Amino acid sequence: MAVRTVGPKKRAIKWNRVGFWLLIVLIAIFLLFPFYWAINSSFKTEAQLRMTPGTFIPRDPDTGTISLTMQNYSAVFANSVFLGTLRNSVVLATAVTTLALTIGSFAGFALGKLRFKGKTPSLYLILSMTMFPQVAVLTGLYAVIQNLGISARPSMILSYLLFTLPFTVWVLTSFFKALPDDLIQSAQVDGATPFQAFRLVLLPLTAPALVTTGLLAFIAAFNEYLFALTFTTIEPNARTVPVGIALFTGQVARQEPFGEIMAAAVLVTVPLIVLVLIFQRRIIGGLTAGAVKG
Amino acid sequence: MTAATEAKPQKLSKAGSLLDNEQRLAYWLLAPTFVILFAVAFYPLGSVFYSSFTNDTFASAVQTDFVGLENYSNLLSVTLKELPPEIDEATGQQVIDADTGEPEFVSSIQVLPRDPRRYREVGTFGFFGKQYVFGATDADFIESIYDTTRFSAVTLFFETLLGLGIAIALNTAFPGRGLMRAAMLVPWAILTAVSSRIWEWMFIDTRAGFFNIIFQKLGFTDGQTPFLADSATQLPAAIIIDVWKTTPFMALLLLAGLAIIPSELYEAAEVDGANKWKQFTAVTLPLLKPTLAVALVFRTLDALRVFDLFQIVFAQKKYSMASFAYYQLIDSQALGYSSAASVIIFFIITAFAILYIRFLGVTSD
Repeated sequence: MAVRTVGPKKRAIKWNRVGFWLLIVLIAIFLLFPFYWAINSSFKTEAQLRMTPGTFIPRDPDTGTISLTMQNYSAVFANSVFLGTLRNSVVLATAVTTLALTIGSFAGFALGKLRFKGKTPSLYLILSMTMFPQVAVLTGLYAVIQNLGISARPSMILSYLLFTLPFTVWVLTSFFKALPDDLIQSAQVDGATPFQAFRLVLLPLTAPALVTTGLLAFIAAFNEYLFALTFTTIEPNARTVPVGIALFTGQVARQEPFGEIMAAAVLVTVPLIVLVLIFQRRIIGGLTAGAVKG
Repeated sequence: MTAATEAKPQKLSKAGSLLDNEQRLAYWLLAPTFVILFAVAFYPLGSVFYSSFTNDTFASAVQTDFVGLENYSNLLSVTLKELPPEIDEATGQQVIDADTGEPEFVSSIQVLPRDPRRYREVGTFGFFGKQYVFGATDADFIESIYDTTRFSAVTLFFETLLGLGIAIALNTAFPGRGLMRAAMLVPWAILTAVSSRIWEWMFIDTRAGFFNIIFQKLGFTDGQTPFLADSATQLPAAIIIDVWKTTPFMALLLLAGLAIIPSELYEAAEVDGANKWKQFTAVTLPLLKPTLAVALVFRTLDALRVFDLFQIVFAQKKYSMASFAYYQLIDSQALGYSSAASVIIFFIITAFAILYIRFLGVTSD
């Protein structure tokens, strides 16, 4: 009796496995295919891009053999406008991240470890700021910048703090809160002021949280498009990567140069993916910290 | 009086003055954050409110005037009119379209009011044999609200469904699980501007584009569909792009939520004879609810303020609420009008946030 039931059960399990792996493969294709399509297109010449139907690997239009070209990449590397946007974005995102971490760690320490009146309203205010729609202040910021004649780069740095700072403060507050209170007390017994306790004892302990939040703030600043597009309207030199990619024009501006756009897209994306994969555990932890209450 | 207040600090214990110091330090440490938030959020928000009541225009010689609620009434005035049937003069009967066999109605332009403001058609619809037209003084803005909410609702539905599916699939142990988790971060790590361009290229209107290749191979179309220019396919395309970009984020959040559900609960359910579906509805879903609620709030607010995707893929062919406000500001230089649109967007998003937090019972802690 028992032997008989084993047969069909085993087969059922096997089919489950096949279905499961099929699902996993489907998910992987769904996640990765668009980026593969960009890589594929970035290695095609203008003629290969215009082939109909388009090929899933770059192929020679006449013979059908696989043929890759590097011309899009060399064009992008020769494109000083695009390289300028890359430099702008790296400098900008670094400055924003540094500022957000410095100012945010002060606020995070105060909210996480110090006792003072008005703590709860401050916390709620900062939490509500993490959901603030940027477009609501667009005209106001634009008017201030125009009237005061502030140039695009400092305007962007300041305005990016609108979304990086509340997030940084929020995450660092919960991190400081989790550190044991005895740390400050024993530092104070040793004669340290609360600020010294913060700088010398607690801050070094928050280094992992600083790396995580810093990385997320950096990516958010790198990704920002609305303010960058608006503030650089009259100052094209200050354009960032997203704006540069959106307004990309090739060396020969006959048609939209999708080959070069895809090459630029791949060049921008690869370092980000490498960065994200190196820090993937931290990033997943940082992204999910707010949502999951253990 | 003065003596009493002066004497007070002396009476305080040492702990009291420490507390005072601590409080002072806290305010100093918080000051930079609040100064910056004032400069980039509260002050500009105030000035947006103010200029929304003016006709302020950049680079214009016209003096800025206070116009009261005019911007708002221009943005939000809508009307619903019945379209009378088109009557044939000779027969006195309603005209029937020779090609489609459908009865014809008077054109919308004749029915919609022109004075004091001109209404434009947003859409027409039939109801119990009668035909109605929905008009607005700023049809673009009303459409942008309608499209953005539809876009948000549908993307949220699909990314929650797919995200939950992916999270459950990846929550089982299998070789290559780490690799899959890494793959999930790829769409998230790609800049929105970059992914918009990649998808724009995949949706291109010839068979050089991925979707036209596939649709033609499957025999659905001739492979020339202008997905991004045709109003019937614009929104579905935008939804696909956004679902791809944001599903991994949803899946990661839900995966973290699944990881903290104790496995004993499943074992207990198994002992009680609950099948997989019963386990899902009785254990997984209720315990995942808090995570799901937070994820939904964040994603809804994100979807409602969508800008990059619409601006890059559609430019002025189709507006989201945010891209409408942007074009009013940059193309028309209409600071006052754009501000009024921003204020409306701000209230719509805030209303959604409050509704959600009430409805889902999200606790902030």
